[in-house]
Amino acid sequence: MIGVKAGPRRGSTIARAGLGWLGLAILATVWQLLGMELHTAVFPTFITSLVAAWHVVTSSTLTTDIIPSLERTAAGFLISAIIGITAGMVIGHYETVRDWTSAVVDFMRSLPTPLLVPIAIVVFGINGRMVVVTIISAAVWPILINTANGTSTIEPTMIDTAKTYGLRGRKLFLKVVLPAASPQIFAGLRVALSVSLAVMVVAEMLGGGSGIGYFIANAQQSFNIGGSYGGVIVLGCLGWIFDTLFLMFERRLLAWQRGTVGGLLDV
Amino acid sequence: MSQVQLAVGLSGEVNEITQRRSKPQRRRVARQIGGVVVAIAIWEALSSTGAVNKEALPTPGATLAAISANVGSLSSALASTLEAWALGMLAAGVGGIVLGTLVGRSKTADAATETIVRMMRPLPSLALIPIAILIAGLGIKMTSGLVSFAAFWPVFINTRVGVRQVDNKVLETAKVLGLRGFKLLYRVVMPASSPMIASGLQVAISLALVVTVSVELVGGTGGLGQFILLAQQGNEPSTMFAGIIVGGILGWALSIGFARLVDRLIPWRTQRAEGGR
Repeated sequence: MIGVKAGPRRGSTIARAGLGWLGLAILATVWQLLGMELHTAVFPTFITSLVAAWHVVTSSTLTTDIIPSLERTAAGFLISAIIGITAGMVIGHYETVRDWTSAVVDFMRSLPTPLLVPIAIVVFGINGRMVVVTIISAAVWPILINTANGTSTIEPTMIDTAKTYGLRGRKLFLKVVLPAASPQIFAGLRVALSVSLAVMVVAEMLGGGSGIGYFIANAQQSFNIGGSYGGVIVLGCLGWIFDTLFLMFERRLLAWQRGTVGGLLDV
Repeated sequence: MSQVQLAVGLSGEVNEITQRRSKPQRRRVARQIGGVVVAIAIWEALSSTGAVNKEALPTPGATLAAISANVGSLSSALASTLEAWALGMLAAGVGGIVLGTLVGRSKTADAATETIVRMMRPLPSLALIPIAILIAGLGIKMTSGLVSFAAFWPVFINTRVGVRQVDNKVLETAKVLGLRGFKLLYRVVMPASSPMIASGLQVAISLALVVTVSVELVGGTGGLGQFILLAQQGNEPSTMFAGIIVGGILGWALSIGFARLVDRLIPWRTQRAEGGR
């Protein structure tokens, strides 16, 4: 799978992709027929939903809700990445730190984060800052844990060699630990990206004041059913675009280690 | 497919290294308990010195008092959260494993579901809460339905990959030995793919809990979510924290409990499938 693809396998790859899209088309057709058959207001057909999604994107919702949501997700994700990677490298590198923190980290990561939204509303009020803080409280854990795992499993020889060459402190972390742990870090970042999107939606539904989650919940409460479905489709597309862009970015950044470590690139 | 195997081999190797370097178990446990004590001490210091607003962060003592004062309502909230969670998880587990096995065994079905899976995986199921309310109204049927929809995907995806990567040589040997149909599935395919399925279930368990409390928060349908929402409206931060701590303990207990169960039921797993996620 890694490296050069053999000639004859190309045809079967195309056939596979074609089958994949066919599967999606069948699902859409079933949805369309079901919607036409049931003929209820709460379950619009596939085409009606697509049109509604188009209206969402082309209306003023784009600037009032979608863009603020994207900004919050990006801010929360980036801050989580900085905190998670830094703390994760320290926790993974020093066994003592790992032992001291592991129980607390275990507890914090299994806490269902949406429970923190009401308290975040009390502290920060109904605004974008609350959403960003809630995203961080959820997205930091997968990054931290994967970074710590990646760091603690680096070959000791590698670290010892670097130390012999005089690399110490911040330089050791930046030049040796970070690159060596990067495949695992990226796996954590990818999970954190979808967690960020999910938590952003819930936080906005409960008290974002604006944003795509607020828009979807608001549309449901005012019986703007097309708006609800359209919002979900837009959000689904955003998730898919983010995931695809992330994989492309990862592939480019980690090109040097393809084939040397294997990695989780295509899974 | 070969990448999954590479990743699995990688993490297996990696595991041995950690084990070799690990210190005695007893000292580690002592340090973990020490870490919890330090965390509680920091919490106490932050709230009692007023470094953080008391309205937002009650002391650990006040939180404990709130837990014991609300034992009755907390346990009924816990019970209804667990009920919705368990119903959804059951449906997701059975559906995900059965469909994942069927799809993973057939090359055509596998290719045909590829794009659907790629699109569904990053879709935040939590965005579907308003639509679920529209279709099914408020109630446990809606909650469990949405929970099972969200938790289905990690189980399905991992089962599909796990079944797909069962070694062909093993399958052919089993066929030569006369194992066919259901027996082949039960005796060979299931044991070989169970480590991957277990990782999928592990992800699904915490995801299902997140979805359950989110529905309770957004829809106000009882359970821990509504308990915290009511405490917020009543302006009782210590009661809110009581709910948060109980929720954390619930999540922690569920994931630890499942990990223990897996260790007991699938001793050959030895955390090899961890990397395949």
